[in-house]
Amino acid sequence: MAPRGSPRLLLVLLLLTAFTLTGLDLRSGEGSPFDALRRGADTVLGPVQRALGRGGEGEVQALREQNARLQAELRRSEGLQRRVDELDRLLGLPSAGAYQTVPARVVAVGSALGFGSTVTLDVGSRDGVGEGQTVIGGGGLVGRTVRVGPFTSTVLLLTDPGSTVGARLAAEGTLGLATGTGDGLAYEVVEGGRVQVGDGLLTTDAGTYVPGVPVGRVTAVDTGGSALVATAQVEPYVDVASLDLVGVITEPPRDTGRDPLPAP
Amino acid sequence: MTVRRFLLGAVVLLAALLLQGTVVNRLPLPGGAPDLLLLAVVAFALAEGPRSGAVTGFVAGLLADLSADAELGRTALVLTLVGYLTGLVADDAERSRVVPLVVVALAAAGAVSLYAAEGLLLGDPRITGDAWRRALVSTVPYSVALTPLVVPAVGALVRRADLDLLRR
Repeated sequence: MAPRGSPRLLLVLLLLTAFTLTGLDLRSGEGSPFDALRRGADTVLGPVQRALGRGGEGEVQALREQNARLQAELRRSEGLQRRVDELDRLLGLPSAGAYQTVPARVVAVGSALGFGSTVTLDVGSRDGVGEGQTVIGGGGLVGRTVRVGPFTSTVLLLTDPGSTVGARLAAEGTLGLATGTGDGLAYEVVEGGRVQVGDGLLTTDAGTYVPGVPVGRVTAVDTGGSALVATAQVEPYVDVASLDLVGVITEPPRDTGRDPLPAP
Repeated sequence: MTVRRFLLGAVVLLAALLLQGTVVNRLPLPGGAPDLLLLAVVAFALAEGPRSGAVTGFVAGLLADLSADAELGRTALVLTLVGYLTGLVADDAERSRVVPLVVVALAAAGAVSLYAAEGLLLGDPRITGDAWRRALVSTVPYSVALTPLVVPAVGALVRRADLDLLRR
């Protein structure tokens, strides 16, 4: 693997290879020649991720003394209660709009050297999940699937700076775009749309997402001195930092689905 | 490069990659998490020198790129360079406990910054000044904190796998 000779030459070769790979991957866009490699990685690593991501709940307790064990037990039951509540809400949410959903658990959180916000779910193409499908949590929108392997799928969170959600104000119907800011969303309304702190946002029927899903609530408004454009800070209904149970909408409702889902 | 040394590298890197996503990133730590893959690369480089560091970094980066939602080769470029440069101080690190801490801090900060710079060139919307600062704060301290565990452990494994074929 490592040829004899100057390590500096080796370094240059490896750097050039990495650079070339990035260039090729970038230029080919959708039908990247490396997609097969990615599928391979998903197929091989997916089952391990599922096993690792789900496990680990009962391991620590067994090693601790009685006292610690009881405490852990308590925490665990609180966690389970939360999960039950989440599932309850999850079941209630889709039924309101007659969505077809696949329930899923988050098994991994992605980060490239501290950047990025994706999560990996324990469902994949074998469970009927496809690319570009809307993912919801108990409270509302979570994001959409961007990469689907046989056993797992990757979700781009709505708070990712690469994510933009077409949204309208629940009360006024004003249209705008909500772009991720890392920990929340920035909602831009054009043409004097009135935004107020506390307003709720819903997805529109403009394509990417299933319409009518609650997105978040406005926490601050900045008009920047302009009457034409207003930017509002939006806090998602779903706490993306502690996601556990979610649902992937595999089949949107037959009708237009304009009836908004009940906000939490 | 013996089969045992190759297996050791593969197992450590895969374990680091998988545990990072499924366990470490989900721990309720305030503000961030250590980067296991970076730590593993630095540990191999400190144990074996620049050649091993560059190769390990390249393979680790490719694995990370393959499993993440990013262009192939992006992390590979960063970790190759980090592994090589870290490997250059391998001799000093063997005699000291402080050197690995400093090296990991510099390596983590350098890797985050290089990845960010690369993202700027590629037009990645995730890279902003704010995101860069957050990534620095989240990655560097925790990675340094894990160093006294990971670096000696990998060093011991490398010695046991007994292979100086990769040594400078």
